[in-house]
Amino acid sequence: MLSFAVAIMACAYLSTGLGLNGHVPSGLVVYILGFAVLMAAAHLTVRKFAPWADPLLLPLAAILNGLGVVMIYRLQEAGRNGNAGFQISTLTGHAAIYQLMYTAVGVAAFIAVLVVIREARILQRYTYTLGTVGLILLAIPALLPNSLSNIQGAKVWIILGGFSIQPGEFARIALAVFFAGYLVAKRDVLSLAGRRVLGIDLPRARDLGPVLVIWAASLLILFFESDIGTSALFFGLFVSMLYIATQRTSWLLIGVLLFLLGSAAADLIVPHVTERFTIWLHPFAGTNATGSAFQLVQGLEGMAFGGIFGTGLGQGLPYHTPLVQSDFIMTGFGEELGLTGLMALLLIFGLMVQRGLRAALAVRDPFAKLLAGGLAFVLALQVFIIVGGVTELIPLTGITTPFLSQGGSSLVASWMVIALLIRVSDAARRPAPQPIQDEGLTQVVRAG
Amino acid sequence: MNRAIRRLSLACLVMFVVLMLNVNYLQVFRVNTLANEAGNSRVFDQQFTFQRGEIVAAGGPGKQVVIAESRPVKGGTYQRYYPSGYVYAPVTGYDSIYGSTSPFGTTGIEHAENKLLSGTAPSLAVHNLIGLITGKSRVGATVYLTISPAAQQAAYQALSAFGKPAAAVAIDPRTGAILAMASVPTFNPNAYATSSSVELNKIDLRYRHDPSQPLLNRAINATFPPGSSFKIVTSSTAFSTGKVANPSATIPAPQFYTPPGTNHAITNDGDAPCGNGNPQIIFAFTVSCNTAFGKLGVTVGAAPLYQYANLYGFNDPNLTIPLPVSPSAYPQENDPAFRALSAIGQLNDAVTPLQEAMMAATVADGGTLMRPYLVSEVQAPDLSVIERTQPTVLRQVLSRQVATYLQTMMLSVTQNPAGTAYFTVGPTVTSIQIAGKTGTAQHGNTGGLDDAVFTCFAPYGSPQIAVGVIVKGGGFGADAAAPIALAIIRAYLGIAH
Repeated sequence: MLSFAVAIMACAYLSTGLGLNGHVPSGLVVYILGFAVLMAAAHLTVRKFAPWADPLLLPLAAILNGLGVVMIYRLQEAGRNGNAGFQISTLTGHAAIYQLMYTAVGVAAFIAVLVVIREARILQRYTYTLGTVGLILLAIPALLPNSLSNIQGAKVWIILGGFSIQPGEFARIALAVFFAGYLVAKRDVLSLAGRRVLGIDLPRARDLGPVLVIWAASLLILFFESDIGTSALFFGLFVSMLYIATQRTSWLLIGVLLFLLGSAAADLIVPHVTERFTIWLHPFAGTNATGSAFQLVQGLEGMAFGGIFGTGLGQGLPYHTPLVQSDFIMTGFGEELGLTGLMALLLIFGLMVQRGLRAALAVRDPFAKLLAGGLAFVLALQVFIIVGGVTELIPLTGITTPFLSQGGSSLVASWMVIALLIRVSDAARRPAPQPIQDEGLTQVVRAG
Repeated sequence: MNRAIRRLSLACLVMFVVLMLNVNYLQVFRVNTLANEAGNSRVFDQQFTFQRGEIVAAGGPGKQVVIAESRPVKGGTYQRYYPSGYVYAPVTGYDSIYGSTSPFGTTGIEHAENKLLSGTAPSLAVHNLIGLITGKSRVGATVYLTISPAAQQAAYQALSAFGKPAAAVAIDPRTGAILAMASVPTFNPNAYATSSSVELNKIDLRYRHDPSQPLLNRAINATFPPGSSFKIVTSSTAFSTGKVANPSATIPAPQFYTPPGTNHAITNDGDAPCGNGNPQIIFAFTVSCNTAFGKLGVTVGAAPLYQYANLYGFNDPNLTIPLPVSPSAYPQENDPAFRALSAIGQLNDAVTPLQEAMMAATVADGGTLMRPYLVSEVQAPDLSVIERTQPTVLRQVLSRQVATYLQTMMLSVTQNPAGTAYFTVGPTVTSIQIAGKTGTAQHGNTGGLDDAVFTCFAPYGSPQIAVGVIVKGGGFGADAAAPIALAIIRAYLGIAH
């Protein structure tokens, strides 16, 4: 399965080279061998440290990561080395090799998580530590001056010299652990019902506290970092885990209601958010298409240009879409691989989410269950928010597409999430230890 | 907790299904809308990387002529080239780098058939798919026009020689196929085929601000007063409503006619009397008496006159050939004083040269008006036929009997020594029997000559071509417009015979 994933990556890479200029790309061996070695390392680690793990998760992650590298290679080549189109100003000529290096870091993190965390519940011990770490990671960009935290209007970065990371990507994992630990401890209290209104059990007023705190926190992220996507993800993560822990629909409703309220308020107050709504509703009105909605419109026109079968890798014009290598990478795939390619990618994401949720269903430990359920759901939510955003289904918010988008933080964090899901699925599928002796029964001695 | 997880997984399923449906909607159903969105940079970039289809003038019995083609230039792109740019400019229009991304990016046939020429039409999807599989680059379809190279060339030369703003249209009356459509002054479509946007803007600005309006296709998008050529409509109404029995029936034609409700008298050319004051209608038509037809217009009534004008094609804003045709105007005139003037083609009447040709074509074809069209056939790159135009009847305007009356009267205009066009296209000039009607229209502007109009068909016995010519400021219709029509007819029939 994994070799399939590597083979697909290799073919895609080859096809890109042929599509661009009719030649086999020069770095073919480096890219394919490098990627194959990394995936083999990941595979051996899973074999050794999580032998019962879900066999599908790693290949799914591998194929997405591989295609991401190929697409970034294709985009960096635009306008370079005599290829058609013009250079993407936000992309250097080394972007793909960097992305391969990030993949190495991601796989290293993947291996580290699997080696260090032998049981998901080890993490439970660090519930509050990780909670604090998560909040600090989140808050750092907001507190740093703009010169050290702001890239293209999103104040979500820590810039250190020539290097920048998005702490929010890692904060999400830390907070997922924190929520899981906190909710396992408090689930009985939280699921106590208060009054019953319209057939729904409302929680007790005093139990609303933690929800409101997280809501406020996510709103603060939104206000100070102008990052609706991340704030929606955090809130979604918390509400979904709260729901899993308590099984109370009322929490879900309250969560959704609070989110709608928050975004409505943001629409009125934060100009950045108001603009996003306008772009979403009227991308072609007035000068929007060449102004504020330029990126969205270029993405949409790119996907339309690809149509059902796409132009083929290297033969489209995705370089017209600004930042197509990060937030808009799905439109790049839509343009060059067409509707068919996008459906395949969405199915891969869907399978990944489904496998994560299945691990959550099967595992017995409530902490692992919550953690896996939350992480898997938020993965789905992330794909929904960004793909929905670039396809004009919902207002556009800038978040990365897991595994595909250019950038180290997102890639490493995604690999860590997959490591955790693999860890949980390993626990879920591990056969129960053979009882050595059944009490009350005579020991049967098999002869011969 | 498992119940909640199951529900959440259902929510995930819904999210993914919604995403997939939306992507399907976007990449299947919104493809065309988005591709035609103004400023689509991908469509813009792509247009020169494949070979746009040819436009071929393939009408008439002569040799076919390519009038627009894409030639490969260095860098793997193609450039549009119009071999006889000025001659065919009103037909081809131009194709600029702004292509379909701007409302003025293409004009003429380049605009009307853009999707087929560029190969993006749905009917070419299968061909493109096969091309994709076999690795061939996209090639546009070839558009064959009904334009006869001989007739078009003659029309352009004759119009240019006169040196005034003018246009001519020739139609095959039996099918509606447009054989020639020329307009002067005109423009060079090759100037628009530049790949430099700076150069393009310069040339476009120059043409747009040129007071002689070279970009205007006068053949279908400019209207002129029809003058006496409108007497065809007035006569048709009189015969069809039974107010006048046949061409030999007499009608009152005073030397001066003052319609009821006005002091302003209608006069004939040079204030001449019209025969004996009560001539046969064929005589009044042949010498083009204004008083006779002004009075006849009052007699036939406002509604019938309006009705027959509409049947001939006036007041139709929706005609496309497939280029959109500006409507010719004949407002219903209920006031007899106004109606008298409108019945002789003055006042608010306005026609395109195409409308003039349609009038003669209707008479020539026994009263049947065929739908005029320019595109005869469209061929995919593999030479299979994608579209072929079947001639269709636009309207039955006249009965065969009334059409015969009109034919006789129009023949008399050129063959009777008293006829207005006897000396210009009569038997002393040509052996081809041309049946026509002249028009000399005062266009309201004092000073300068009148607009010259001539509408005709030929040969009389078995009509093959109907022509409408208007020369702005040309003077008498017979002097300015009729020789141009004759040149076109000669060029067209000269090949046939």
